[in-house]
Order: sequence, then structure tokens, then C-alpha cells
Amino acid sequence: MHGLRLIFQHEIAKIFKDKSLIFGFFVLPVLSLMITVGISMIRPTTTQAEEYCMYFYGLNLDRINIGELDEKQIYVVSITEDPAQFMQSEQFHKYDVLVDFSDLHNVNIYYHEEDTVSSYLKSSADSFVREIYSELFRGRHPEVTFRTVAIEDLNKKEADNRLIAMLLPYMLILPLTANISNFAADTIAGEKQRGTFYQALLSPITPLSLIMGKIWSVSLISLFSSGIYIGLDVLGSKICEANGWEDLFGFAGIHVTTAEFLLILLYAVLLCYLFSNLGIFISLFCKNANQAQIAQLPVTLACTMAAMLAMFRFGTSPMLHYLIPVYNICIVFQDVLHARVQLANMAMVAISLFVMSVLLLILTLASYRSEKVTE
Amino acid sequence: MITIEHLKKTFKKNKVEAVKDVSLEVHNGEIFALLGPNGAGKTTTMRMLSTLLNPTSGKITYDGKDINEDMLAIRRRIAFLTNEIRLDGQFTPDELANYYGRLYEMSEEQIKKNKQELFDYFGITEFAKRRYETFSTGMKQKTSLAICLLHDPDTIIFDEPTNGLDILTQRLIEKYVVRLKEEGKCIILSTHILDLVSRLADRVGVIVDGRSVYCGNVSDMAASQNVETIDEAFVKLYEENHVEQNIITKK
Repeated sequence: MHGLRLIFQHEIAKIFKDKSLIFGFFVLPVLSLMITVGISMIRPTTTQAEEYCMYFYGLNLDRINIGELDEKQIYVVSITEDPAQFMQSEQFHKYDVLVDFSDLHNVNIYYHEEDTVSSYLKSSADSFVREIYSELFRGRHPEVTFRTVAIEDLNKKEADNRLIAMLLPYMLILPLTANISNFAADTIAGEKQRGTFYQALLSPITPLSLIMGKIWSVSLISLFSSGIYIGLDVLGSKICEANGWEDLFGFAGIHVTTAEFLLILLYAVLLCYLFSNLGIFISLFCKNANQAQIAQLPVTLACTMAAMLAMFRFGTSPMLHYLIPVYNICIVFQDVLHARVQLANMAMVAISLFVMSVLLLILTLASYRSEKVTE
Repeated sequence: MITIEHLKKTFKKNKVEAVKDVSLEVHNGEIFALLGPNGAGKTTTMRMLSTLLNPTSGKITYDGKDINEDMLAIRRRIAFLTNEIRLDGQFTPDELANYYGRLYEMSEEQIKKNKQELFDYFGITEFAKRRYETFSTGMKQKTSLAICLLHDPDTIIFDEPTNGLDILTQRLIEKYVVRLKEEGKCIILSTHILDLVSRLADRVGVIVDGRSVYCGNVSDMAASQNVETIDEAFVKLYEENHVEQNIITKK
């Protein structure tokens, strides 16, 4: 443990003393923040609606204009799409309301409580629906209940986290793989290139201490560096929200409990540890940092692709998907953000990540004294 | 004392037999020079001695203990310095000394004492707070030497320690090597400079084409080959053994 602690401290100190790495740490995330906020500033905001709509499901109506509000026309429009899905779509604006006639005895009117236009439309829709019923039943009193449902109450979490659940895996995995590739390449292959690796090999410390010290330092630094990226993206989202610009990544609306945040962090740590193991293993067989970075490129690309595939995943996934490396982490992040965590899946992902990390560590230790490494 | 018996190293990757049969003995309190032409297997032998490489066959013992028995304990006793070995450039000599001293489980007091002594001797003290990467070649070599001797090893393996250094630095290092010998340390020195061998070394081992072809006193080397100088003895040993190799190849 003594050697491991020393190696770990030395590696961390080495990274913080390297000005070029510090550039990647702070300057690039700040640039990324500026770009994010900049794009949000110049993009036309989509919160400006051209018209207001009352959507009706279960009734076949022609599109009709029923009046005007704030110089915008109000239309009644029939939809055939499932109401739950329609409310998730971009077509359903935050000013709009949806009247669900799928059960004629229980009519639900969905609206956005926090929006005054939507609340106004809800009242109009309520009167409109009651008028329709009164016309239909002409004085008779059918058994029907009219209920107004605030959409935020229905599934506030899912609505808030929809965008971020789609993007978080990508936004977390991209900097993580890039950072680990960079730090791991510099750790052993870079040391070989500079001639400093042999001094460590000659030291009276066990291979386990040396390798673990390096893996842990790469993991911690990469996690910290990715944390800066995400932290600044959250800040960027808050700036956008405060100024009324479009929140490009949806971080401002993120809605997670402390337990969920810790769960995401735990999986990020596990993922980081697995990548670091892989990075160090590859680095061990390379002669210089450039070679190691090139060798790690397929890993980075595969991880990016897995994250991108997860972006376009909707609903739940079969159990087998939780065994696909990297992709499983992405879907776990989404499950946490959508509050549909299943213990068995979560455990399976955690165990598979841990087992893969341990196997890689064993391979690294077995290769550590090989001629390819020490030549 | 170091004993090397029938050491052999074949690299798996390219099937090259870098060391075929080397047997030597190095005693405490002596400077042992390892001579050989380029590609003879000196560096591979030294790498095996320093635990960096595992021999394919043969045996290396330190005071009777096999090198594979307790490698970490052997590493605590040895220092290996070559031109290939560098230190982390971002750190100062002071920080490096503290780090390596702690890796060797030295007490803080011991680190401070040894550091002060070595830094003073090699003239590093006034640069102790400057980054290693800003140093000249000579200063880097002196710092590397000070750091690798910090844990007070009893066996020191030098591979071309004075290569590329100015005459003043060379003399300073040579003087220190003699001082180490006087302290009873076992010193193995690999070099191409035969003048350095005749000035410093007590005994010499010659390796030609991966085989040890001579092991004895420096003073006896010339006489054993019926020549006047060790330069001539070395050339003769090389020609005799290399010719033999050529004949085998032709056959």
C-alpha cells in the first residue's frame, strides 16, 4: 500500500505540473462552455409559437380556428397518435393543451400548469368540451367526469430529464474516453519515450502497486476532468436559462435526487476504472505516447458509437443489452434519469464492469514483465 | 558479491540470442569493467543484472541469493544508471529525491542526510529547486546519479556513465566511483573507453558475440594475451572469438 500511495500521489502531481495537460483540463472546457452558450445565443428560440393549439384525441374534428389570444390564432386539431407519446413530441408546445377522449366517461385535459397561456387554454378547452357534451346529450346527464391534469405532475421527472437522459451518456463518455486515452498514453508509453519508466521498474515496489497507482491516478484525473466539462455545461445551461436562450443540452432542467446522482457517479467511476485499465494495458505495449493514442483510437470510437446508439434508444431494453460493454452504462444512465431502475440490471452492469476491469488488471500484471514491455 | 553462471538471453520476439553464455564474478570493494564491442550483449547482461530482464537460462546470485528469490530485496540493494534512464522533467531534484527515497522506504532523516551529501558533492544544491527538464545534459546526468545512489546501494551498475559529458563532469563522476569502491561497494562499469578501464577498474570481463571470453585482473589482461596494452589484448580477444564465429557461420 505504501508504494501504491506514493505512485498515485506522484502521478497526480506529475499531471498537475504539466502545463499542456492543465490546458486540456481547464481551457478546453471553458472554450466548450463559450461555444455552447454562443450557439444558444445566436439560435432562434423555439419558445415563440406561431399559433396555439387545443389537441383532441378520440374525436375526429376538422382543424378549426376558435379565436385569438395575444395576436395569435387558437386552433382545434385532431390527433391520432397516442396522447402520452404525443405529449413527448416537439409538436406539443408548452402553450398547448390536449384533450383525451379515449374514454368518453373520463375526459382528461392535459396542460402545462406553469404556463399562463396553457392554463387559459385549459379553461377554454374545459368549457368547449362541456359544450360539446351538452350538445351531444341535449340536457340528459351522462356519467362523465372532466379532469384537468397538469403535465408536470403526470411525469415531471421524465419530462425534465428527457433531453439530458438522451445526451448524458454521450456527454460523459466522450470526454471520459478522450481524457483517459490522453492520460493513459502519457502514463506508461509516454514514460518509455522520455526514459522515465525504467526508474519506476527498478524501484522496490510490487507490480500491483505500480500498475494500480497508475490506474487509480488516471481514473481520478479523468473523472475530475470530465466533471469539469459537465459542471461547465450545467453552468452554461443555467446561463442560457437565466437569459431566456435555448438550453442546448437541457442541463438546467435536470431533476435527480441525491441517491440518483450518487448512482450515476458510482457507474461513472466503474466505467472510468474499466477504461483506465484498458488504457494502461494498451499503453504498456506502446513505445511512445503517440503510438498509444493511436492504438486507443478504436476503443474511443467504439465507445462514442455505443453512446450515440444509446441516444436514440427509447423505452426499456432487453436484459441482454445490459451485457454490452459501454452501451450498458449508457442505458443505465438513462434508466436512472427516467426513474425506471431495475436492481437486477443495475447489478449485472456493475458486476460485468468490475469483472472486466479485474481481468484486464490480471492481463496487465501478467504482461508487465514481458520483453515487449521492458525492451 | 555477484555471481553470474552460464547466463543466456534469447529474445522471443525476433529469436535473437543476445547473450549466449556469460559467466562472471564480481567482488565487493572492486570496480569491475565490462568490455565488449557494440552488440556484444553487455547492455542485455546489465539489464538482467539489474532485474529489468529475465534470463532465458543461467543463474545470477547476489551474495549467494538467487535474483528471482526476492527481487524486491535485491532491488533495494542495487542502483542501475544508463544514458537511457531519465527522471520526470516536471520535478525538481529535491522533489525527486524525496519521492525515490520514500519508494525505497528510507526515513525522512536518512533522505535529508543522503540528499544533502550527494547534492553537495555533485553541485546540485543550488539547483535543487529548479525543474530537472531545464538542466543541461551534464547536470541531468549528475542529478540522475545522485538520485540513483540516494538509497545507499551496495551494488552499482553503470552503463556508459560518462558518455557525452565534459571532462570536468567525467572526472567528478570517476572520483565518486572510486569513493564508492573504497566504501566497499560492488561496482560494475560498462564502457568503450579503455583508458577509463585501465585507470579505474580492478578486474575486467570481456564479452564477444554474447559469450564471456575473459574474466580477470586488468593488470593481467595484456600479459594473458601476450601483448603490451589492454587495447591490444581487447582487440586480440575480439578477433580470436569473432573469427571463430565467422567460421561457424561459413560452415
